[in-house]
Amino acid sequence: MGKSSKDKRDLYYRKAKEQGYRARSAFKLLQLNDEFHFLDDETNLKRVVDLCAAPGSWSQVLSRKMFTESKGNLDGKKIVAVDLQPMSPIENVTTLQADITHPETLSKILHLFGNEKADFVCSDGAPDVTGLHDLDEYVQQQLIMSALQLTTCILKKNGTFVAKIFRGRDIDMLYSQLGYLFEKVICAKPKSSRGTSLEAFIVCLGYNPPSNWEPKLDLNKSVEEFFSGCSLGRLKISDDNKLSNWKIEERDIAEFMSCGGLDSVDSDATYHFDEDDTSNVKKPALVSLDPIQSPTNPPYKKALELKRKGKLTRAV
Amino acid sequence: MSNFKQLSHIGPSLCVKFYNDTILLAAVGPFIHVYEFRSDKLINKCRIFHNNKIHGFDISQEKCVLYGGKSVSIISISDLLNQIDLKHTELYVPEWVVACTLANDNENCYVLTCYNQVLILNPNGVVLHTKKLLNERSILYSGSIKVLDDRVVVNAGTVMGGILIWDLFSEQKIHNLKGHVGSIFYVTVSDDGKYVASCSDDRSIRLWNLENGQEVSIGWGHTARIWNLKFFNNNMNLISVGEDCTCRTWDISSESELITKNVYEVHLTKNCWSCDVQEELMIAATAGNDGRIKLIDMNKASRYGNELQSFTLQSIGETLEIKFEKNEIIKGFHWFSFGLIAITSLGKIIKYVECTQSWNLIVVNEDLASYSNTIGIDNTIIFSNNKGYVLLLAFSDDGRSIIMQKELHTDYLSKVTNCMCVKFDENYLITLESPNPNDNFIALEIEPVSLEIKRTFKFNKPGNFVSSCLEVVNQNYLLVGSRFSTVAIFNLSDCERDAFMIKKLNPGDTVTSIKFVESKDDSNLFSITNRDGFYNIVNINFDNETYEVIHSNKIVKGFLEGAFYNKDNEYITYGFKSTLFYMYNEQHGYEILSQLCGGAHRQWKLCSLDGTNSNEEFMLVYIKASELYLRRIYKPIVPETLVNGLHGREIRDISILPQPFNKEEYLFATASEDTTIRLNKFNLVTGDIKSYWAERKHVSGLQRLKFISNKFLISSSAREELFLWAINTSFSSNPYITVRATLPTSAHSPDLRIMDFDTLFINEDRTDFIVSTIYSDSTMKIWYYDSTDNQFKLLWTSRYKTCCLLNVKLIILEDELYLLVAPTDGHLVVYNITNELETARISDNKLVNIKVPMVPVTLSNLKPEIELAVHQSGIKCMDVEFSKDTFKVYTGGDDNALSISKFYKNGGRICGEFVYSNPKAASSTITSCQLFKNGTRLLSTSVDQIVRVWKVEEDKLVSMASRYTTVADTGSSDIIKDSSLLIGGVGLSVWEYDENSN
Repeated sequence: MGKSSKDKRDLYYRKAKEQGYRARSAFKLLQLNDEFHFLDDETNLKRVVDLCAAPGSWSQVLSRKMFTESKGNLDGKKIVAVDLQPMSPIENVTTLQADITHPETLSKILHLFGNEKADFVCSDGAPDVTGLHDLDEYVQQQLIMSALQLTTCILKKNGTFVAKIFRGRDIDMLYSQLGYLFEKVICAKPKSSRGTSLEAFIVCLGYNPPSNWEPKLDLNKSVEEFFSGCSLGRLKISDDNKLSNWKIEERDIAEFMSCGGLDSVDSDATYHFDEDDTSNVKKPALVSLDPIQSPTNPPYKKALELKRKGKLTRAV
Repeated sequence: MSNFKQLSHIGPSLCVKFYNDTILLAAVGPFIHVYEFRSDKLINKCRIFHNNKIHGFDISQEKCVLYGGKSVSIISISDLLNQIDLKHTELYVPEWVVACTLANDNENCYVLTCYNQVLILNPNGVVLHTKKLLNERSILYSGSIKVLDDRVVVNAGTVMGGILIWDLFSEQKIHNLKGHVGSIFYVTVSDDGKYVASCSDDRSIRLWNLENGQEVSIGWGHTARIWNLKFFNNNMNLISVGEDCTCRTWDISSESELITKNVYEVHLTKNCWSCDVQEELMIAATAGNDGRIKLIDMNKASRYGNELQSFTLQSIGETLEIKFEKNEIIKGFHWFSFGLIAITSLGKIIKYVECTQSWNLIVVNEDLASYSNTIGIDNTIIFSNNKGYVLLLAFSDDGRSIIMQKELHTDYLSKVTNCMCVKFDENYLITLESPNPNDNFIALEIEPVSLEIKRTFKFNKPGNFVSSCLEVVNQNYLLVGSRFSTVAIFNLSDCERDAFMIKKLNPGDTVTSIKFVESKDDSNLFSITNRDGFYNIVNINFDNETYEVIHSNKIVKGFLEGAFYNKDNEYITYGFKSTLFYMYNEQHGYEILSQLCGGAHRQWKLCSLDGTNSNEEFMLVYIKASELYLRRIYKPIVPETLVNGLHGREIRDISILPQPFNKEEYLFATASEDTTIRLNKFNLVTGDIKSYWAERKHVSGLQRLKFISNKFLISSSAREELFLWAINTSFSSNPYITVRATLPTSAHSPDLRIMDFDTLFINEDRTDFIVSTIYSDSTMKIWYYDSTDNQFKLLWTSRYKTCCLLNVKLIILEDELYLLVAPTDGHLVVYNITNELETARISDNKLVNIKVPMVPVTLSNLKPEIELAVHQSGIKCMDVEFSKDTFKVYTGGDDNALSISKFYKNGGRICGEFVYSNPKAASSTITSCQLFKNGTRLLSTSVDQIVRVWKVEEDKLVSMASRYTTVADTGSSDIIKDSSLLIGGVGLSVWEYDENSN
């Protein structure tokens, strides 16, 4: 998050800065929780994993909910945040710079949890978007499946899994697959997620894997192979090694739920700071706040430098 | 049974490849389009997959393997060229396919998946082996497989900046190439196995030595991500394309840097996905998100060897055996079919004859030393000085001899600062102008054989007038362009008459060209360009001395020096941008040519190459660093494009003009995220789409657009932009479109989005109307558009809450006026605004009159009569069906639901009930819904890429038909004649809907 005029247009962006969150996406988790209350269980919510956690706004929410704002017993509570990118420290959160598909990561988390399973796993991860919608949606689903692999190895029965999705052309296939592992799968859209964006969240309640299936992470196994023991793996190569022909795939539309209540700030709206009106939205003064966390180095930093120096101007 | 049939589609093309020197294959959605590219002929469209887009393919002489998503298909080239449906060959791989390559046994193929596994497939789809690199399973965005003489190399581009190069059969890692930052988007190996080339998120191209894994060189230049690369010319060059829509060629020979050889601006914003090279012809092909298939002649500036010549006075002097003075420079020139005539600052007139490639000194004319003006027409050159002296020299066709010569000593003017010439029937008309405001503006009619003056015209010179260009029409009217975007029209049969002035067409720069387009009855169309980049099509009536701008637009960037219609009736512009001279196809949006010349501030002239004025071949003459350059611009040897494409970004809205344009053709407008509006037509039967104009008036991504009648279009976007456009379809050259009126904004630097609008005409004449606008800050406004003073006047404003409003309708029910609004909070909100608009008169359920209130409009605190909750979140689309005493509202939401609500009056107040909802009408956001067949059918589109038709039964919707569309981010649709529909998103499809077909 930079220091910019975006403050004015995007109230969540501004609120995130005011409340010390590293990204506006913190409100997405808060609003999901307003509806599902998965972070409000003082007694049963002890071990939590935040996957693809950088820059860490969801971990911040978890930390505040489970520790700062908690009135109950803090003993045995543990938050682990995992990302390939480094993350600056967050109070009450153990950060791991690791690959979520690697079995070692799993054993590290289990070790931190004293070999107990997690009560809640979440992932707000998203890939670099290319503009090829089918590829972007596929990569996002693979990210979810990678998170889900780890989740199936670490989530206790009846636990909750929450992850970011893109609601594109094959989302109903994902819903149908998740239906084999969870009692209930809901597509939730927080008010803080823009209406113009394909983004939404799957909230998977009541983890209940097939009883005869034992998930096992193996770097050399594909996602399809990993899930081949339960009904998720659709596209196995058959025993005669022949690729399957095209067929209509199983799809299912998940229940949709809007989160955040009607009185919460609308992320599609333009807000005014400089005038009075009767609405009850709190209006901060129009002063640009410093960003909570400095912007990260983009991969094209060198190209930007060259452009600034006029070295990329067309000469032929 | 009801059915959809796709007639045509313009959308992202992800791969192009030449099969040989005649045939080009392009992947378009699930189809392969086969072109005979030299003659621009589409010879086959073959469907390969059921739904998935083809992302790439590999071909040999006989075979082809295609892939896209998880689909793979192995087919013969002859089937690809001759069959139209090969869906049955589609096979499913368990994971996303990144690349496929045919093995050199011409039987099997290698399939690389995004998890860095290679399946070796036989032609029957049997997996013979699965190969992988142990413990390297990072997801890949890109990769390739190279079959070399002694081994098969897998190149895997990871998301973490590394490139894993491994040997397929031994499954051993060869290199992990590190240097890029961010995801690798393409990696390839040269045919000789010497080099690896890669590109990434970091905007660089890197060349590596395959033998030792060392980085050889880096290429910078692309301003966004790079998507595709290819070696060509015996691995001496690379070609690249990317998100910045440029295609670049690079020299490999140098040391640590890849040197940019050329840059081609080939596609519309944004993303050029693929490129290939036909090496025998040196023709490149590119494909992009805009659906365009572009051909590039990479030898455009060297194919005939004489494209660019340059001379210094010294080098000319050596061949002439005369000496030019040290400070002598070339002052003027003109290119004729035989060669060039030029004049120096010391009055030396020299001639270059093309066929002998020789220079001659014609004469030294002291009168033309220090100041001279040069014009060429037919085979005649005309020099003038500032004292009224004019020298005319007519050359023979071969340029060898002067066949007539004339000197004129005019004394009409105190000083002559500009002299121009134009064809006047068979004669020439030379104009002379002085800086003295009291002098006349002089025109001399010259007989072209004798070069004698036939007539002299002395016009009163208008004030503030500095001539810049000429045109003559109807043998009677002389149009003279001037500074300050002004045109003076002189009547040649009435010199006493003051010129009819067209002033300040655009903000203010000089008129650079005036070209007659066509005439119809009393209407005469002219194309008028301005140096600041505006071009206009102006309809002039000479008898009444009236004019109307029927088309106005601005070029993307740079200075505009002129424009013309080419033989295909495409509007071509030319001028300068930074250091380049350019020619640009304005209709379709691509550069035809660019020449590095140093920029606009120099002497230059664009002449016809063969003297025929056919606008096909040109000679660009310019001076750069005191050198004279001759740049020949030949006809292209291959078509510029095979498909022109439409928008490179999402189409947000579509509207079809209700009245037919031609028999089976309808005009339609598209509003895109790329900030342009395109005016196009399509054919109901064939589905053929042709685009006419891309209007650049909006500066932000479009929200909505709609033809409100057969003459007017309204469009809206962010920054509070709303324009009323006038459409003109009465001319044969093209349909035209221009902004008629602009909605006032509420602030100096507006930052609100106008999300939607609705109109209601006053009376039957369909000229005046009221329009409701809704905003992203919950504001609602109603305006009156008065055609007599062409302005929007605010009638009423109010605010719903603080949330964004998405849809609006103006409704008259039992002689009362209602405003129906759908916000992001999922409610349908109805206001009774009858009493708010006191001056509105409604009779017979029609708005018959309205007046603008005398007092300023203040924010009304009117409360809605009803707020009905119908969706969980934003209502994305809405259509309304009226009957005598009720109206039904059909809505589609972000919550996947389609709903019906019914409103009616009870005890003077509006009542509403939520009568039906299908919460799973789609698996994703529903983005458009529209009633057709007299309200008995509802068409819906949604982001899950399914188009559905619903039967409207009493208070419910029954699914009738649904079909997958390849248009991603499906966001807009329109339907005409209850059977032809347009579907927009990333691309545009034309479908036919027929309930009686199977």
